Amino acid sequence: MELFVNLVVNGLATGMLIFLLAAGLTLIFGLMDVLNFAHGGLFVWGAYAGIFTYMFTESFLIGIIGAVVTGALLGLITEKLIITPVYGNHIQQILITLGLMLVLQEMIKVVFGPNGVAVKTPSYLAGSWEIGDVIIIKYRLFIIVVGFVIFGIFQYMLKRTKIGLIVRAGVQDKEMAQALGIHIKRVFLYVFMVGASLAALSGMLMAPYSGVIYAEMGMEYAILGFIVVVIGGMGSFSGSLLAAILVGLAGSFMAYYVPVLSLAVNMILMAIVLIFRPQGLFAMRKERST
Amino acid sequence: MKNKLSLKYVGFFLMLAILVLLPFVNDSRTLMILLTQIFIFGILAMSYDILLGYTGIVSFGHAMFFGIGAYTTSVMLKQMDNTLSIFLLSIVVGILIAGFISFLVGLLTLRLKSHFFAMLTLAFSGLFLVVAEKWRSITYGNDGFTFRAPDIFRDRITFYFFVLACLVFIFIALYRFVNSPTGRILIAVRENEQRTKSLGYNTLHYKVIASVVAGTVASLAGALYAISLRFVNTSVMTMDITLDALLMTIIGGVGTLVGPLLGAAVIEYAQHTLSGLARDYPIFERWIIFFGILYILAVIFFPKGIIGSLRMMYWKWRLKLKEKDKTSVAQPQEKERFE
Repeated sequence: MELFVNLVVNGLATGMLIFLLAAGLTLIFGLMDVLNFAHGGLFVWGAYAGIFTYMFTESFLIGIIGAVVTGALLGLITEKLIITPVYGNHIQQILITLGLMLVLQEMIKVVFGPNGVAVKTPSYLAGSWEIGDVIIIKYRLFIIVVGFVIFGIFQYMLKRTKIGLIVRAGVQDKEMAQALGIHIKRVFLYVFMVGASLAALSGMLMAPYSGVIYAEMGMEYAILGFIVVVIGGMGSFSGSLLAAILVGLAGSFMAYYVPVLSLAVNMILMAIVLIFRPQGLFAMRKERST
Repeated sequence: MKNKLSLKYVGFFLMLAILVLLPFVNDSRTLMILLTQIFIFGILAMSYDILLGYTGIVSFGHAMFFGIGAYTTSVMLKQMDNTLSIFLLSIVVGILIAGFISFLVGLLTLRLKSHFFAMLTLAFSGLFLVVAEKWRSITYGNDGFTFRAPDIFRDRITFYFFVLACLVFIFIALYRFVNSPTGRILIAVRENEQRTKSLGYNTLHYKVIASVVAGTVASLAGALYAISLRFVNTSVMTMDITLDALLMTIIGGVGTLVGPLLGAAVIEYAQHTLSGLARDYPIFERWIIFFGILYILAVIFFPKGIIGSLRMMYWKWRLKLKEKDKTSVAQPQEKERFE
């Protein structure tokens, strides 16, 4: 029983982190039709900037804020300089964002040094609770809570507020939204910045979870993010939550029972989904819910 | 027209003659190794350009085929014997495996749109990397293993000529391929897939053909690469190899065969010199940044690469000459287009 609970908590925590990463990807793709291969770079920049702020100020909260601000700033620069010139050309988008990924990853090594950085969990989140036989690590629970809170906030924003209405309208029909007087380019920019800061937040939260951060982690987790987006359906926000949880759980159970397959299970999952249901498991291409 | 063609051939043979004669003039070890490396990556980049430049699909899994070639050759030379015949056999086996896998992967993935295809190839190559890491009894994991190359390739110069011969052969073969009717249809797919489909071509077939051709050629490059190092580890399967091929193709010029070769030369040479400079100036240790920036700028400003941009300039220059001549050459052409 405690094994099962532990595996579930573990899987959920990983899933939540991947969800934060994938949420930005899926929003950007749904609205702007841009697949951002540099998302992992934003993720790792968030991790480094956040952790260095955290180590400097000794406050985890300020570290998180630092990560989110860094993400938003990088998102701003990226959208203006890199994405704007290549709207509408998929191949160029893929190529250019991959180039940006390279640059971001190497810049990490220049700015923060080429070696990995060990990260400590803040004291009030370290340790674990024991409930009966079950040991629950605090930080993992913290991640799960944060993940659900953010999902709740975004769901509320998307479904209940004017901003969400504009974004959903943009996803559904860009030209029509534009005709109704919405400055769609500016909406693009904001969504891109929000997506980037989500990636940065995810990186920051990932750092104490994995215990060490290094420049190459961006690409590794970005691949997981892509897998989740594909499984969940491009542009579907709640789909990516479900898919992220699925990927997280599959990873944690496989790592325990069939460790050889643990690295491959996600890719196999994605391959199967793409072959049989290319639009994704939970795809709602033209979202019509209220 | 005929004049221009012969100019092309003259250039080709001149270049070939220089490369053939070079070892007799200057056979320094560094130069030979560098040129061999350029040739090998030139082959890889040309194969990548079949996908990117001619068919217009972005694959992030090209390292997979390169790795298959490298591992097949290394494993066979290590486990069986280091003779020339085994080596040639291993190339054939590698090509068969790579061809089969690229056929399967292509059939499964090429139906998808560009984004999904790029991601799925990334995932597949990740899968192969995992296999190479985990199958320790054969691949020795990340540590890799050394093996003895066939005796005849001990001599750097012999190997140089062998690789050069391979390069020329592949170049001519791919040149014939892209100018064949099949190659023309690939270009049509790149320009407008929907229209090609409505003209009655099953574009999936042609894309799979392109994928198989690219995969097999990449596997040959991988085999040569393994011989040149006499060592193999999982790095041959990593994303870096795909990125190298991508950079070479983009910087050299997509949609040409000379472009990737030129790109390979530029990148390999720059890598060589920059990593030399890194000893004195630590900033050059991070030479990838320069490439990354160069690459981003290339995608924005010179999406056609060096060769493509030169060609554009040449055409513009010719157009200007024509206008100067005041002949009405341009007008009949315009008419033809409307007829």
